[in-house]
Amino acid sequence: MIEFMLNGEQVTFNGDPETPLLWVIRDSFKLKGSKFGCGAGLCGACTMHLDGTAMKTCVLPIAAVAGKTVTTIEGLGTPDSMHPLQQAWVEHNVPQCGYCQSGQIMTAAALLAANPDAAEADIDTAMAGNICRCGCYPRIKGAIQSVASNTLGYDAMAEEVAS
Amino acid sequence: MSTQILSRRHFLKSSALVGGGVVVAVTLPGCSFDGELPIDAADTALVPNAFLQITPDNKIVFYCPADEMGQGIRTGLATVIGEELDCHPSNMAVEAAGSHEDYNNPEFGLQLTGGSSAVRVFYEPLRQVGADTRALILAAAARDLGIPAARLSTDNGHVIAGDKSYPYGDFVATAATLDVPTETPVKDASAFKYIGTHFARIDAEAKATGTASFGIDIDLPDMVYAVVLRSPVAGAKAVRFDDEAARRQPGVQTILPISSGIAVVADSYWQANQAAKKLTVEWEDVALTAVDSTRVRADLSAALDADDGVEAASEGDFEAGLAAAANTQSAEYFAPFLAHAPMEPVNATLRIEGDRADLWTGVQVVGAAQGLLERLTGLPRENIRVHNQYLGGGFGRRATLTHVVEVTEIAMATGKPVQVLWSREDDLRHGVYRPASLMRLEAGIDADGKVTAWQAQRAGGNVTPETLENALPALLPSMPEGLLGGLHGAVEFIFGNWAVDHPSVEGLHETYSMPTHTITHTTVDHGLPLTFWRSVGHSYSGFAVESMMDELAVSAGLDPVALRLKNLEDKPRMRRVVQRAGELMAAMEVPEGHHLGFASHSSFFTDVAEIAEVSVTDGKIRVHKVTCVVDCGTAVNPDTVRAQLEGGVMFALTATLYGEIDLDRGAVVQSNFHDYPILRMDEAPAIEIEIIDSGTAPTGIGEPGVPPLAPAVANAVFRATGQRLRELPLRLA
Repeated sequence: MIEFMLNGEQVTFNGDPETPLLWVIRDSFKLKGSKFGCGAGLCGACTMHLDGTAMKTCVLPIAAVAGKTVTTIEGLGTPDSMHPLQQAWVEHNVPQCGYCQSGQIMTAAALLAANPDAAEADIDTAMAGNICRCGCYPRIKGAIQSVASNTLGYDAMAEEVAS
Repeated sequence: MSTQILSRRHFLKSSALVGGGVVVAVTLPGCSFDGELPIDAADTALVPNAFLQITPDNKIVFYCPADEMGQGIRTGLATVIGEELDCHPSNMAVEAAGSHEDYNNPEFGLQLTGGSSAVRVFYEPLRQVGADTRALILAAAARDLGIPAARLSTDNGHVIAGDKSYPYGDFVATAATLDVPTETPVKDASAFKYIGTHFARIDAEAKATGTASFGIDIDLPDMVYAVVLRSPVAGAKAVRFDDEAARRQPGVQTILPISSGIAVVADSYWQANQAAKKLTVEWEDVALTAVDSTRVRADLSAALDADDGVEAASEGDFEAGLAAAANTQSAEYFAPFLAHAPMEPVNATLRIEGDRADLWTGVQVVGAAQGLLERLTGLPRENIRVHNQYLGGGFGRRATLTHVVEVTEIAMATGKPVQVLWSREDDLRHGVYRPASLMRLEAGIDADGKVTAWQAQRAGGNVTPETLENALPALLPSMPEGLLGGLHGAVEFIFGNWAVDHPSVEGLHETYSMPTHTITHTTVDHGLPLTFWRSVGHSYSGFAVESMMDELAVSAGLDPVALRLKNLEDKPRMRRVVQRAGELMAAMEVPEGHHLGFASHSSFFTDVAEIAEVSVTDGKIRVHKVTCVVDCGTAVNPDTVRAQLEGGVMFALTATLYGEIDLDRGAVVQSNFHDYPILRMDEAPAIEIEIIDSGTAPTGIGEPGVPPLAPAVANAVFRATGQRLRELPLRLA
């Protein structure tokens, strides 16, 4: 039995400890926002936060998650209460097919949480693990920059959305 | 029993349909479903046609006839119908249409999304539907309010009478008793409120919050998951397999042979995927087994050497034109097989209960999916519903229905709701591919740069006959297998020997006015499954033609833009695009070490010019910026036009720098994103776009951004290095 925190709630998983976190989240906890893209940690569609750090979860055994904190796109924000990055994604009309965007947003959110003033080079480096086949990169970058450089400041915006 | 011998029973081939490019009206008898509309509506709701439902509480639902794969079509067509209905697109609930002939693409006569056609072909019909429905609501309001319709107006889903505003929903009961008006006049463009305006994609919020539903997200009670182990070589059947070890894996329910391979059915995808690795299968050899990439290339060369291609187009006297030229050039250009690699691997979920079947998937061919289910299950067509979800990328890949065949066979064998999910390895190794193409061009220009002679010969596989052949079982669900086999053979023979498949040669001369041209084609088919890939034939013809135009300009010492303008004298729309792009290029100040390359190409009725700013350092090509000028007629949503060009450039840049599917003993070598790389953010160029609105009706935008990119980059690389790269992907010597 593996216990961990999922989007603020204590949960347990009783299946095969080798099962990747992605499939535990999608199949056992029925949260479908995190996507399967490559199964090899190469595309980033499955990105979640593990103790606040962006992780590719399609190759991360659930055993490695015991006692840790997992945040998925559903825990980051909801349509009624979007995270500043999600708002920026809508304002910049970022998504095309949209399949990779949960992973893109989770990677960007971890970056800005650690480095609220991320420069373009920081963004390029942090986001290089997330593939967008539709080629939304200029808009993804623009959306991240709009939040990173927001005069309100990232933390203030995040609090404002949460309140 | 663990080792099973399989019979060579003829299984149904995978099914597919056109994914882009073909501009032929094929109306096949029996290919469309004309029964009851696939719309769930309360008795109190108004359903005036296949596209709209209005409820008493003023929920306005638009059933979008084109499939959303990222191209923004739900937003675009909601804008078109909303303009005339007078309802803001974001105030409508937009749902994917089910299968019905009313949703057929008016040009193709089939329910398919492809060929950058949806806005172009639905622009007039959906405006008419919107205008007629608005007129119906106004007529009902006039009765209910006792006010002549002429004194009523509308605003965003409401009828306005003096200073009072009534939701459309107030009048649906009366409207349901009236005849729906026809031929209601539509608006003049000057009165547009939504068309031509920027606003947010209607699916942006769902896609930014992880709440948009894709096929892979369908989760039914008691559903089982299937993974299929397929032959490394396309078309080869299993001779025998050993499933003893696989059956002992946790969660495995059953293992069964199906038409495309061996299916492992388990409680979860992960378990099925793990168990499939324990299967051992012996596959038969087929003709493709003897083919590798070197052989493909040699066969294409030999085909062109034979110089006996079928004539696709010919005007004027080529030899005389060549003799009259001041400057001549000849060159050979190559483009490899490519995979689409959409981010969502293909998948399908099917539930068969009694005499009803429900399919959840994301495909570009909803009607064919329904027809296929009818053929395979024997259920009446009206009992089969296709619930198309958001497509996690299409690019032509989702016009093929192999996964639907698989899920149907497994659901019928197990009697359970099943989801079939392909891995990325499955996607790259068992897919359908852009054909490899070899093109030989020979051209002459006079002293001013006017083309006096133009010849293009292409060798490679064809996408339409194969796609059509594979689609026939779905399009003609009641035709017996034997007759289908005859049709297959006929289609293959015709395109192999007499007729030229238009997408095989499209774009080899049409962008320019070239009074003397000869285009020939030789079919070389190795048996690798082929299909439409974003911009289809233009994806390689644009590279060849625009490289050759540059070679002609360089050899004659002419300006590449001026040379193109010289050959656009009776193509005013493209002429203006090239003229404007030339002005932008002339004004560009590029840093030391950066070089510019130019290309222009017409496809899907749209004209595009692109300028690539490129540097080459330590043998690595880096594209810093791409500037696009486009004329696609009326831009229904200018931001979508921009997004599609941005995406087209990135998609094409992946193919330009990296894209290559290789064969080794008939098997695809590439398997995942480590050896089939996709452009990443740190390599993505800045993109600037200028839209020229010629005021004509809208033309395509999903694909036309792709063809000019590779030659623009190659032409810039020539300026940077002196190396003329004539093979994709671009590799420096």
